[in-house]
Amino acid sequence: MEKQVLRITVNSEYHELYIKPKRLLVEVLRDELGLTGTKKGCNTGACHACTVILNGKTVKSCSVLAIQADGGEIKTVEGLASGAELTPLQKSFLDHGAYQCGFCTSGMLLSATALLAENSKPTVEQIKEGIHGNLCRCTGYNSIIRAVKAVTEGKYEEGSQ
Amino acid sequence: MIRDFIYLKANTVEEALDLIDQHKEDYKVICGGQSLLILMRQGLVAPEHLIDIKSVEELNYIQFDEKEGLRIGATTTHRTVELSPLVLEKFPVLVHMEENLASIQTRNWGTIGGNLCHGDPAGDPGPVFMALNGAVKIASKQKTRTLTLDEFFIDYFETVLEEGEILLEVRLPPIPPRTAVVYEKFNIIKNDQGIISVAASITLNNDGLSCNDARIVIGAAAPAPIRAKETEKLLIGEKISKGLLEKAGEKASEEADPVADIHASEEYRRHLVGVLIKKMVEKAWEQAKAQVK
Amino acid sequence: MTKFNVINTPIHNVDGIAKVTGRAVYTFDVNLPHMLHGKILRSPYPHAKILNIDTSQAEALTGVKAVVTGKDTLGVKQGIWRRYKELCDEEILARDKVCYIGEPVAAVAAVDEDTAEEALDLIEVEYEPLSAVFEPLEAIKEGAPLLHENAERNINVTRHIEWGDVDEAFKQADYVREDWFRCSSQAHVCMETHCAVADYIPEGKLTVWTSTQSHYYIKVLLSDVLGLKENDIRVISRYTGGGFGSKFELDSAQFCSSVLSMKLCKPVKIVLSREEEFMATKRRTPMFYYLRSGVKKDGTFLAKEARVFTEGGAYTAMGATALYLTGFFQSFPYVWPSYRYDGYRVYTNTAPTSAMRGFGAPQATFCAETQIDLIAEELGIDRIDIRRKNAMYADYEVPGQATIQSCGLSECLDRVEEWIKDRGKLPPHHGIGIAAYGFMSGGIFNWFNTPYAFSSAVIQVNVDGKVDLFIGSQDMGQGSNTTMSMICAEELGVRVEDIRLHMGDTDKCPVDLGAWGSRETLMQGNAVKMAAAEAKKQILKYAAAKMSPNIVYDLDIKDRWVHLLARPERGLSYFDVVKEAIRGKEGQPIVARGHYTPHRKGMISPAYSFGVQAVEASVDSDTGKVTLKNCVTAHDCGQVINPLGLQGQLEGAIAMAAGYGFIEDLPMDEGKILNPNLVDYKILRTTEMPETTVMGVTTYEPEGPFGAKEAGEGLTNPTAGALANAVFQATGTSIKELPITPEKILNALRERNKREKK
Ligand SMILES: Cc1cc2nc3c(=O)[nH]c(=O)nc-3n(C[C@H](O)[C@H](O)[C@H](O)COP(=O)(O)OP(=O)(O)OC[C@H]3O[C@@H](n4cnc5c(N)ncnc54)[C@H](O)[C@@H]3O)c2cc1C
Ligand code: FES
Ligand code: FES
Repeated sequence: MEKQVLRITVNSEYHELYIKPKRLLVEVLRDELGLTGTKKGCNTGACHACTVILNGKTVKSCSVLAIQADGGEIKTVEGLASGAELTPLQKSFLDHGAYQCGFCTSGMLLSATALLAENSKPTVEQIKEGIHGNLCRCTGYNSIIRAVKAVTEGKYEEGSQ
Repeated sequence: MIRDFIYLKANTVEEALDLIDQHKEDYKVICGGQSLLILMRQGLVAPEHLIDIKSVEELNYIQFDEKEGLRIGATTTHRTVELSPLVLEKFPVLVHMEENLASIQTRNWGTIGGNLCHGDPAGDPGPVFMALNGAVKIASKQKTRTLTLDEFFIDYFETVLEEGEILLEVRLPPIPPRTAVVYEKFNIIKNDQGIISVAASITLNNDGLSCNDARIVIGAAAPAPIRAKETEKLLIGEKISKGLLEKAGEKASEEADPVADIHASEEYRRHLVGVLIKKMVEKAWEQAKAQVK
Repeated sequence: MTKFNVINTPIHNVDGIAKVTGRAVYTFDVNLPHMLHGKILRSPYPHAKILNIDTSQAEALTGVKAVVTGKDTLGVKQGIWRRYKELCDEEILARDKVCYIGEPVAAVAAVDEDTAEEALDLIEVEYEPLSAVFEPLEAIKEGAPLLHENAERNINVTRHIEWGDVDEAFKQADYVREDWFRCSSQAHVCMETHCAVADYIPEGKLTVWTSTQSHYYIKVLLSDVLGLKENDIRVISRYTGGGFGSKFELDSAQFCSSVLSMKLCKPVKIVLSREEEFMATKRRTPMFYYLRSGVKKDGTFLAKEARVFTEGGAYTAMGATALYLTGFFQSFPYVWPSYRYDGYRVYTNTAPTSAMRGFGAPQATFCAETQIDLIAEELGIDRIDIRRKNAMYADYEVPGQATIQSCGLSECLDRVEEWIKDRGKLPPHHGIGIAAYGFMSGGIFNWFNTPYAFSSAVIQVNVDGKVDLFIGSQDMGQGSNTTMSMICAEELGVRVEDIRLHMGDTDKCPVDLGAWGSRETLMQGNAVKMAAAEAKKQILKYAAAKMSPNIVYDLDIKDRWVHLLARPERGLSYFDVVKEAIRGKEGQPIVARGHYTPHRKGMISPAYSFGVQAVEASVDSDTGKVTLKNCVTAHDCGQVINPLGLQGQLEGAIAMAAGYGFIEDLPMDEGKILNPNLVDYKILRTTEMPETTVMGVTTYEPEGPFGAKEAGEGLTNPTAGALANAVFQATGTSIKELPITPEKILNALRERNKREKK
């Protein structure tokens, strides 16, 4: 099958790739670009471990054809921190033990990042709904909710540490 | 495993219809792919040509006009509907429905058109649009037609769409005065597909007491969402009472035709129909009454 | 100065930054040059003879590099019960017959996953279907189809536990109650599915990256089935995306990738799909439970009799241990003067059942705690009082089985009772249910037949004072990497950041049996503590020589300060002492070893955790739907090591155990699992999770490092029972069958209404 050109910007880096049109976004990110921070827990759209931000909105990268993201801007977990400087959410996840095995963590972080970009002061209910799709088998979620909440309370603003 | 296909991207409706026409012997339309890709992965769908309408911007709109009502283009995402101030003002039930539909990620990429055309009897928009007396505009290269949503769903994952046709938009007439429309689904995990869902539209007479019109739709209780017409008849002309609600619940659970699966027995589903009908009719009735005052 | 410098301080996990930045490389992320991808062909029949397998078409497909079947294996029957050969009953690739849907039959390696998958369709297997049996109570009947020749009536293992004069005690009882319970299955649902990358090189050595709870077990089990020497195999597992009991037996990704790699001398990666994960990896053991209890009018427990039939599935797996532990923990956490348990594990043509978090104890606790509430109700005794009256206590001896050294159960009961009182009057249709529980801190069992110590650790202190800690334990998310770093830092007198941890690699790390049975904190912890103590001793020798204190003074190290215990201000920098010590040792770093194997600690475990949980739930009387509101747990895990870790373990356990209580199940039709995906298999999401409160009850466990014991699995034990009791409180009906679905509740309510009308 004819490969097609795919032009995407991932974590501010522009890529031009040739892919089969059936390739899913998650496969391109992981296998072509080596961004293995994006995980896959089901490949059927149910677990949301593969969440990335595409053009400002979260999507499940296992449920989007890569070619459909052509021309798009993508953020993955690797694009959150800048150098050693973690984002407030990443710091808060650490402090609140909001991860255990860590396999859902990338997806959680991206869902939470998008949530806070849309609404910087969500209620607990809104936090729950914002990350509702993301399954976590380890934590029971409450630590994740506390971590997001702490960020909204300004505990991780620049210079507050 | 997804089989290889030839990928064709349409940017306009015209392009889409042309592409479909050219490849009508073996094609499939993809929009958000939230449902389609699952089927393709299972090998249940393996088209030679995949025609992508996701970027057809001319179908990405929500418009309202006092006479015509609301029009939602097929490629509008669930999330756009959910966050639309216009929708919130004119058709709040849609916002409520969307907030409880799958995850944000699914709503960010999945579309209204794709949802309807997937024809899942447990889908949420279908019953609500039916209760709202909605219609759909459908086009092929040869013709354009408009159908009511009542006519749209045929069977499990089957709609009236014919080869070569795509759905262009959903039309919802303005909600008549003294009318309230409500929707709820029963599930164990929030935002899961409903084990049973019920949408109810109740219009009251000027007296604010008796029912002038009712549209009651049940989802996940038959091969397609169904109008509970006998239940509607039973309500029209009546005043609300415990007894009436009780009867409506009973009637609707007779009208439903659910099947057992791993999530619920047939009997339990029928029971849920009764429970939800009572709850929804009462809720719509009260909201409609509040408008009269 | 506080007692501890490191322990009991909440810290983030030592591998946390790697996890929140996406840099943690799981097996799922391992990609090697020239790597091939494998897929596994599985049986579509629950029971069938294999007449012939034709792989020629698959082999001919472009891109396919190899196809293997049972003929390419040594035909060894393997299993984790290596001391008992008759219980090693599972072939890696079935040769003559298959016994469950999903059993591996062949495997393919190809240039990519899609090609491998396509090749599976081209393998032709000729089966002769055999009659099959799915339910243990059917399978045990005379004349039922037999799965294994040597297992009459399909009985795989039986277990008997008895103490006291049970029959006599029943005669003394004022009240006797009997109930039947049914406990459902549950899938582990690790977010990282089972996966492995095997790389065999012509020199005869095999390296396997895999997602596992025990790299040591996998190494040995692979050596059993591949005919390689144990130490020609290296197993690497740095990050594991969840385990919960599903990842310490040999799995199909591991052996199929190994067999293929040995054939091709190329790396082969196999990742199980979520569907395979549901259908063909192991799962929680479903149990039919008969319980008869005899008590005095005042609620004093006299005698208990339990009989259990477990659905074993097609092979033994870890099921024999689950059978034992469910019997043992059925008596927990109470003093039963007489007790008799008979357990039967029955083979069925279903996917094998095995270990899952709690290991038979959640089933036991559900049944026991539900029945205790019914007894209390009948006798009109307060449900906390009846538990308090019969609670285990420190130094209690479970006759012939175990000695309980530390036990904070009574305090846990007090704390939960207080909470319930504070909660005050509940809204209508709300109920608070409670359940008490206990669990082991690592098993004493050695069915694996290891000649090594159960846990070992090695420490190397380098010239700059930085410490290399080598451990065999496996962190699958439960945080043992952090716990071990903390124990090491505390004992040695340094900070956690001074430690570089080496784990997850059999070539570099000493043996540990792995992360199961809640054994790491106690067993690996003791080994680490011993190694650190030994290293410290060596350092202090040099310090003593240098400081030449009065001989009556003891030296110690705390927070990088080597000092006189009695005069902490008199001391030297740890870094300086280490530097000089190494110089004085002809440049040899300070190396120390530690190990732990339980001796004379009874039959089960060196130590036991205890706790009490209260679950508040509301029940919608129209639909039977349950909403979890609060979950409050008082847990005695000895000395808490990392409070953050404890809370995480507890909340995670609640989510999993509440799921077991009210939604999770693996319904089957003729041996076929009907919900092998994450849409139809429901697990809790954020919105279903109740508020959680953890009340740590601290005791000192003499056998544990710094007094610590388990806080991982035990926490899964109470929730289903507490939930059942909450439903009982809210509705007056008791559901004895898991999961407690809305439909079951509604039916029970209707039954009750019918009865009341009559
Ligand atoms: C985990 C999960 C949970 C979900 N939960 C819910 C839920 O609770 N409630 C609910 O209602 N839905 C639910 N869905 C389904 C989902 O909302 C919709 O089916 C989805 O949004 C469809 O939109 P799409 O654009 O992705 O369609 P696609 O997947 O692209 O298409 C679906 C079908 O419609 C056809 N199609 C698409 N657009 C058109 C068009 N304009 N004209 C003609 N044919 C077209 C395609 O050919 C295909 O057959 C869930 C989905 C997932 C994956
Ligand atoms: S991998 Fe599970 S939703 Fe994408
Ligand atoms: S941390 Fe393991 S799945 Fe969330």
